[in-house]
Amino acid sequence: MTANPHRPRRAAARRKHHWSLHVGLLAVSFFMLVPFYWVLKTSLTGENIFVYPPKLLPNDPHPFYYVDVWYLIPFARYLANSAIVSALAITANVVFNAMAAYALTKHFRGRGLIITLLLSCMMIPFQTTIVPAYLITGKLGLLNSYLGMALPTFSTIVCIFVYKASFDAVPKSLIDAARIDGLSELQVIMKIMIPLSASAVATNVILSFIWSWNNFMWPLIIVRDPNMQTLPLGLSRFLTYHENTTGALYAFCVMVLLPGILLFLMAQREFIRGLTSGATKG
Amino acid sequence: MQNAPAAAMPAVAGLAHATARPRHGGGLKRRRELILIWVFLLPSLVVFFLYRILPLLWNVMLSFQDFSLFGKTGWIGIQHYRDMLEDEVFWTSLWNTLLYIASAPVGIVLALAIALMVNAEVRGRNVYRTIVFLSYPLMTVAVGIIWRWMYDEKVGLFNYVLRTLGIIDTPLPFLQSFEWALPSILLANVWQILGFYMIILLAGLQNIPQNLYEAASIDGASATQQLFRITLPLLRPSIFLAFVIGVMTSFTSFDLVYVMTQGGPAHSSELLVTYIYKNAFELSKVDYAAALTVVQFLLLVALTWAGNRISGGEAGAVKTE
Repeated sequence: MTANPHRPRRAAARRKHHWSLHVGLLAVSFFMLVPFYWVLKTSLTGENIFVYPPKLLPNDPHPFYYVDVWYLIPFARYLANSAIVSALAITANVVFNAMAAYALTKHFRGRGLIITLLLSCMMIPFQTTIVPAYLITGKLGLLNSYLGMALPTFSTIVCIFVYKASFDAVPKSLIDAARIDGLSELQVIMKIMIPLSASAVATNVILSFIWSWNNFMWPLIIVRDPNMQTLPLGLSRFLTYHENTTGALYAFCVMVLLPGILLFLMAQREFIRGLTSGATKG
Repeated sequence: MQNAPAAAMPAVAGLAHATARPRHGGGLKRRRELILIWVFLLPSLVVFFLYRILPLLWNVMLSFQDFSLFGKTGWIGIQHYRDMLEDEVFWTSLWNTLLYIASAPVGIVLALAIALMVNAEVRGRNVYRTIVFLSYPLMTVAVGIIWRWMYDEKVGLFNYVLRTLGIIDTPLPFLQSFEWALPSILLANVWQILGFYMIILLAGLQNIPQNLYEAASIDGASATQQLFRITLPLLRPSIFLAFVIGVMTSFTSFDLVYVMTQGGPAHSSELLVTYIYKNAFELSKVDYAAALTVVQFLLLVALTWAGNRISGGEAGAVKTE
């Protein structure tokens, strides 16, 4: 992806490997894509649930299972719950991370300590906090609530650093000029920092969406009320009730996976930048 | 305006250097700025305090307590840790977690091969990258359901392929068998995380200066020599990062196990994380779960530290861009 001044020479040197590279990469792609194909095919035909040997090509595809999902489970309810929790998480991340990152671009006593603290917190996976996190959420009275589901993901360390890198890249002269023009601190953020950090905002939106959309363990722990369940919980419940007896399970899977896949395909660069800048889930 | 010289200094990411800036006060303006800074930091710090730092400390406390959600709470010393030594399921889940970690290098080597391939000037490499990475952002619960069914004993894809190729005669009940349950989950996990490893290694590869390879070529170094003398040594921080992620995953892979086997049959695919969940939320042994978590966390720290030592102490040296 980086500009390579010696591209022609290197390309020539590599060309003789092209053929074998393609064979290798096609094989890898094949193995990576098989599960996608398999779930899509079954969601459209349902044919290899009962019959052996399975047919490799879809025979007479139909959308009935997709319709079935709406009748078998409260899909709309799950979808709405997931959407609300994700919206909360995204909003909080975009705002709170930007605020924290902006503060960290400034110099103040204790800044180094805060940065060290954040970096150490990154080493604490959420899963190692579940027991006290459950007790704390209970004490806050947030069990079985949207806020309770979203709160632990309200700010993500990785995303703070994504913002910070972007803010640090804004020329100081630009900010000083704005100050001289009489812009307040808040106006500097809203009119200069954020507009110049569009891709950092996008990274925040995408990462917080994917993480909260896919989040399973935390809602599983704090949600008992069926009306508050999100899509992953619904999916797991569906599995428990119906096992593999209907293609609707796989139609459900496809419907749940689609938003993430589409978003990822649309904003791959922002997504990957976020992951490579800080690595693990904050 | 007194702040201007300090603000113009290049921002150094790292430890305390705040003392280096001039002390003479900016008066009211500076004070207002400081208030703003801490107000801006507050929401994030509250979240991290409530859901990272406090739980970490509380876990340690709980692990020495006899805790019940409704009754009285008292101190019982190291009783939970002593129980753990006697607890066979704990040892099984610890062993399984270590196996999970051991699968990380396998995935990383695979991902390295793929990263080297898609880093070459090959047509359509962005498409290949997308395909390999596509499984990573998926909802793990759905991934578990898809794989669970590919592993199905009667009509699963794996059994079909293996039987057609004549490798096995009778279908294998992958997820219901003691030997195969964990390896089956590991394979699904590698499938999902492979793209993530690849992206990290790819970012590392792109940070290696190209002129090193040119100089090596002029000196007559073969492609293999270049791989072992230039690429791999310079890629060490990225490999370490991928390893840390692999270790973390082994401690956090709850969703896959929960959906695919529930830790069964008879705890043969139990991980520490699933065992902690079961203790806390199915058996109401919150205090014991906390003790297990402490052990798990110490293991995580130890492994990361060891990995860091091996990689040459360059943790987190991966560039931001």
